[in-house]
Amino acid sequence: MKKIILLSLICLTVITNSCKKTLDVTSSRVVSETNYWNTLEDARAGIMGVYGLTRAALADNNGHWIYGDVRMGNFASPIRQDLKAVIANNLNASYPLLNSLSNWRRFYAVVNAANTFLERIPEVKAKDPRYTANNMTVDVAQVRFLRAFIYFYMARIWGDVPLILSSRDGSFENRARTDQNAVLTFAQSEMEAAALDLPYYYSNGDLQQPGLYYNQSRNQWSGALITKLGAYAMLAHVAAWQGKYVDVIRYTKKVLTEYNTKYDLSYTNTSTLTSNSGLFYTNPNNLNDNQLFALGFIWANQDASFTGNIESLTLAEPVVNKNVPDIYVPKDSILSIFKEAGDSRFTIDSTGTVHSDALSASTPGYFTNFLGKYPIFAKIKVMQGGISDKTFRIFSSAILLTRLEDVTLLRAEAYAVLGENALATTDLNTIRQIRYNVDQQGLTNSSATDYVVYDPNVQGSLIEAIFKERQREFMGEGHHWYDRVRYEKIKQNNPQFMALINSGGIFWPVSRDILAQNPLITQNPYWK
Amino acid sequence: MRIIAIITFLGVLCTTTYSFGDPAMSARVSNHTKTKGRILLKGTARVGRDTTRKDTTKMDSSVGIKPPANTIGRRLESKSNVLDPVSLSTFPAISLQQYLKGNAAGVYVNEQSGEPGSIQNMFVHGTSQPLLSARDVYATQPLVVLDGVPLIGDHPYAFDIQQYQYNRIGPATNLLSIINMPNIESIRVLKGLDATAIYGPKAANGVIVITSKGATLKRRITFDSYAGVVTPNAVTTINGSFENKFRQQFYKKYAANGAFTQDDSYPMFLSDSLNNAFYGPSNWNDLYYKSMGIYSVNASISGGDERANFNFQLGDTKSGGVGDNTSMDRYNARFLLNMKPLNWFTFSALVNANRMIRDRNKNIRDRLAQVNYLPDLSTPLAPNKVNYANYLAQFNNGFDDNKNNVVNGYAKFGIDLGKFKFVTTYNIDYNEGYRDIFYPKTLLQGANYASNYFGYNDRTTIDNVATYEWAPNADNKFEFTGGYVLQYDFSRYTYAYAYKGSNDFIKLNLLNSDPNKSNYLTPTVFQPQLVYKFLDHTKGNTMSVYGKVDYLLKDKYTFSVTLRGDGSSTQQPTDRWFYSPVFGAGWDMKKEFLADNSSVSELRLHASAGRMGRYENFDNYSQGPQYTAFIGFTGNLISPGYDGIATLTRPYTAGYVPYGLKWAYTDQANLGIDASFLNNRLAVSVDGYYKHDKNMLLGVPSAAEYGYTSVIRNGMAIRNTGFDATVTGVIFPSTNKFSWTTSINMNFNRNTLTALPGGLKQVTINDANGNARLLQVGKSVDSYWLLTNNGIYNTDGEVPVANGKAMTYNGITMRTGDPKWADLNGDNQITDADRTLKGHALPTVAGGWSNSFGYQKWTLRLDFYYNLGRQLLNQQMANRFDFYNREGLNDINSVKEITFWEKRGDYSKYPIYNPASAVAPYQANQDLFLENANFVKLRTLQLGYDLTSVIKKKSSNVNRFYVYGSVNNVFTLTKYTGQDPELADYTGYDTGYGIQIPRTYTLGVKVDF
Repeated sequence: MKKIILLSLICLTVITNSCKKTLDVTSSRVVSETNYWNTLEDARAGIMGVYGLTRAALADNNGHWIYGDVRMGNFASPIRQDLKAVIANNLNASYPLLNSLSNWRRFYAVVNAANTFLERIPEVKAKDPRYTANNMTVDVAQVRFLRAFIYFYMARIWGDVPLILSSRDGSFENRARTDQNAVLTFAQSEMEAAALDLPYYYSNGDLQQPGLYYNQSRNQWSGALITKLGAYAMLAHVAAWQGKYVDVIRYTKKVLTEYNTKYDLSYTNTSTLTSNSGLFYTNPNNLNDNQLFALGFIWANQDASFTGNIESLTLAEPVVNKNVPDIYVPKDSILSIFKEAGDSRFTIDSTGTVHSDALSASTPGYFTNFLGKYPIFAKIKVMQGGISDKTFRIFSSAILLTRLEDVTLLRAEAYAVLGENALATTDLNTIRQIRYNVDQQGLTNSSATDYVVYDPNVQGSLIEAIFKERQREFMGEGHHWYDRVRYEKIKQNNPQFMALINSGGIFWPVSRDILAQNPLITQNPYWK
Repeated sequence: MRIIAIITFLGVLCTTTYSFGDPAMSARVSNHTKTKGRILLKGTARVGRDTTRKDTTKMDSSVGIKPPANTIGRRLESKSNVLDPVSLSTFPAISLQQYLKGNAAGVYVNEQSGEPGSIQNMFVHGTSQPLLSARDVYATQPLVVLDGVPLIGDHPYAFDIQQYQYNRIGPATNLLSIINMPNIESIRVLKGLDATAIYGPKAANGVIVITSKGATLKRRITFDSYAGVVTPNAVTTINGSFENKFRQQFYKKYAANGAFTQDDSYPMFLSDSLNNAFYGPSNWNDLYYKSMGIYSVNASISGGDERANFNFQLGDTKSGGVGDNTSMDRYNARFLLNMKPLNWFTFSALVNANRMIRDRNKNIRDRLAQVNYLPDLSTPLAPNKVNYANYLAQFNNGFDDNKNNVVNGYAKFGIDLGKFKFVTTYNIDYNEGYRDIFYPKTLLQGANYASNYFGYNDRTTIDNVATYEWAPNADNKFEFTGGYVLQYDFSRYTYAYAYKGSNDFIKLNLLNSDPNKSNYLTPTVFQPQLVYKFLDHTKGNTMSVYGKVDYLLKDKYTFSVTLRGDGSSTQQPTDRWFYSPVFGAGWDMKKEFLADNSSVSELRLHASAGRMGRYENFDNYSQGPQYTAFIGFTGNLISPGYDGIATLTRPYTAGYVPYGLKWAYTDQANLGIDASFLNNRLAVSVDGYYKHDKNMLLGVPSAAEYGYTSVIRNGMAIRNTGFDATVTGVIFPSTNKFSWTTSINMNFNRNTLTALPGGLKQVTINDANGNARLLQVGKSVDSYWLLTNNGIYNTDGEVPVANGKAMTYNGITMRTGDPKWADLNGDNQITDADRTLKGHALPTVAGGWSNSFGYQKWTLRLDFYYNLGRQLLNQQMANRFDFYNREGLNDINSVKEITFWEKRGDYSKYPIYNPASAVAPYQANQDLFLENANFVKLRTLQLGYDLTSVIKKKSSNVNRFYVYGSVNNVFTLTKYTGQDPELADYTGYDTGYGIQIPRTYTLGVKVDF
């Protein structure tokens, strides 16, 4: 009997010692609802998350460049069959890459993160006194801008997309596609509203953002976040895509009158543009204001990536140790695109010698290995931390969405469309001044005013000259396809392309995976 | 050297211990050991005798605390559950899976590679999950209980940071390689809930209970060893000329001018027929396929008296692979001590320590997946021996060290008051793995790579069991069992890798170590921006209470009821506990009806039905809606933050986790019969089962417009039904000069998906290899989703036209040279709607057939292993024909291994499609590449001779002396045209990465003193 009592005692102690707490284990791998949206740091993690997802959405499968540059663009692909299909606008070909790129889920991750942020941020405001009203205003403006930007981006790719403005957490409801005009109108008005609240600078005593933003310095934020002028620059794109050229002038004017008075923007010369530690390199020790709106992969923060950049598509021998580039600009195309003399981006003399080699320090240009089988498009080549080491193909170039040259040429385009040819010419010449300023040997002319001005007899009509200039200037920056669509819409003289525009062939097909999940989504008619 | 050292050591140990022998003590305990120490070599002893009828536990002469015998409950178990470790131990296996393969009805073992120590999977009664990723496989593995210690495996959470999931980071060694078969007393495979219920929710996929030899009262020494050689099968090698000819037939047919498009470029390595590296002799196989010596040495000693006794065992096993110089070494030591300070109190402690060292393969794919960086892949390894030797030599400047230490053991306190017994056990299983890598610059196009991994998994169990036996009279016997179990699982790893060290001489990622300097802890040779560090851990605790009553009526009827409650920290707080009942009943029909009938020796029926929770391995589901730091994208999963600041967003890629997730559970029932006739000369055991796993979690692809890849939902149900059968016949009994016993076991399993969350009828999910899999209610989850191939369109005119439109594939018009895929829904478009579910990646019928012949002191064994009703998708062949698309992709799928230069498969089977067509004519997912993978293998051919009587004349201390010679994996009969129908992973796609399962020749000896 004694033994039984003893045993029961042992039993009881063991059982009571292990209280219910055993089963309350908080996962160290995720953050639960109760531990989030409480503090200033949560707000920061949330807004950076929206930026991070935006970057991921654009970088995924090198989408930004495949949508913008590869599709019916300047590039050819020597061996990649999936890219060949994109180049030929054969977008429903059976390749995994194409199916991934036709899936819009990753863009909606940004939308959902933004919606969640906008719904939940008042909780942080209520709980953490360190989170000021101004901080919230600026955060909300950025998040609203990013959401609108993503809708704009999606509307350009798929046309009609479901416009969803609530996170609908847990009760996800299938939605049909919203007319693209409504989506674009939303994007424009939303961006405009956001732009009003956005500061010119962060952590630099801006009236709309006094003090240090999240206690970080101006350098840290420069080039990383959307600013007021960045928002207007993107607004110009939104307006131009819709053909609202009056609005384009309104938005671009804002940027082009304030860029050096209220903000520290400047035009970028060719050598900085093509340097491996130049415009596309986000240097956390310097100001990166010239990246007017960019999503950076910052070397110092271990953001450098093997994929998610133009370099992984374009670079090969002799720039990096890869035999054949995924895409390249064929010689004939280079010669026909860059056929003007004095162009610092590509200078070829009468003997056929190229004087603007991407690897040259003194006369840098867009291309290298011009005489080889595959000329290498090496305008953007931020290898590792902005060095020129060919043995390891990790890159840290920013996804640069707009810059001052872009805004200037957009205004030129708007002026030209609206018949203000003189103003358009001035803007075009602003760009020509920094590009057509080299001699036959590729050396920069000594005088800043010594450049080849626009001449309709040589460069053709103003519209044509502006779009050709865009083609040259923004090669490899994910603009070409959209520029081409705008150009064709303005010119209306290419029946084949007009048929493509009218039948929705300028949009991507919607992924089979999406169609299988959501019965309300219909395929773009062109791809049925 | 190592063998000699070990043998010497063991020899010294034996002789010294032996000299301390005390004959009086042995005499004193002899009443406990009825078999007088002759417990070993049942395998040889059973020849011609029906030993399958014996309950091995009764043969157990060991002492110490044993799990409650539960003698009544045992009556409900199928007789076919028990395996014979003695015959298993002569098989030169390194892992438990290899031992079990073909030997246990209802256990299917997937040995995807002959590389020793690589991961192998087991499925008891089919799969309870669609096998789409390593996570699913982990969730379907049976629980292995070694000496009462439930073992923990490598948690799959580490895959979250891996772009390529071929191998888990770290040593990725099969942790079930620690089972040292010569030292095993018994193995039981528990399949039904009646037997598995007391092991709880982690046992929902079945339990394999392994008991090592215990301590003995009589001094006993065993010595067990084999040595042998593994030899490769012959292969046919090919060179650039072969490949060129193969490709040229496509060019001849479809590209008259030698190129499909302007930009087309024929691969460099095939362009130059004067290049001796590619066009010369293809003799790489001399360096890749090699014979290798293997051995195993095991010795044990046990002894003591009734108050204190022990068992000590040492072993060393080296297992070898025939491909790529792969091998594994295992050292183990085990010490068991029992003490009985009071008559009613026993203390018992066990430590089982193992070390495993593994030489892994040098596959380019696996290496690049580890490195996560793809150098230029346009030129493959050349098939020439000289070139290949140069490549292999580069590895000498680096290292790839894989080590595992596994320690498990227990401390047990047993109180025995006769009818009332109480045992409390503190169990621990701890395994740790190290992998240290350095690849020199030459292997990665100028960038070197260093990586260090340390990870461990730890399972601590506090297990209390009380039993009470009550027999009010001779007709009624009760056994009451109550248990209370706490289990703590913890897994953790630290991992770092770095690229581009400044040179190849410093092979470690060294850090500055002066804490007073500003550069403290920054790397010295690797750039800090290229050093990636990871740290992760996960936890799961469970708490279980159960009660069990077993009742035996008139020695004929058995009843058993188990009720249990299980709480798990990985379940949401609102549904933390799961309560479940299990019922069992047995009926001894021999005693009921045929007590006097001598032709029927045994006839028992048993049945059980019940429910048990299924343990969730991932702790994040318990948190409900959640946030993660993941902002990566395809090709870069490890983006650390934005602008140097950490982020938190919803788990868009992993899937939305809602509130209200509930326990998944399994409903099982079985009905079995054990019968034996003709004086036990024919024994039959048949067990029909019904296993329905319900309410399981599935990431349902949905909410894409809210950013999610999927929403995690309860409600998936998968049913496995079938039967296990074992038939043993004693054709000639051992009383004859010539004896023959034959035994066949089989499992027939049918897998059906019965429900999907939210009443969905089907969903499409991509598996880890990117293949789309359709899960359709009413179909099995291991089927392939394929287009049906009916030949080729030889001209554009053959393409069917409907309403003026030619047939399309996903919108692309079909043309000459495209495959004639069946348009099942008749809409003149080939889409996913025209794919059908075909074939099974897991066999519908699997088992083994073993034969034992005896002639005087000779024994001959022939063991076969077979799979029927299984199909493989020959992806390797698909890849070869899809050369045109693969050549250009610089991705992990376009890697060509050295084995690219081996001819596998039948090239003539496949039509010559236009490889450049946009319809992807050689996509793997069509029935063109689906092949019948049925096979029969002769796994063991063994000849043994019992020398006991000869040796006994010289030394009377020897109880047993048995020598044998074996050939294993002798031949395979199959129609499969690929390498070997076994060599495919759980998805059933044969990628060609499996290394040959080698033919092994061994000579062995088993000695007992």
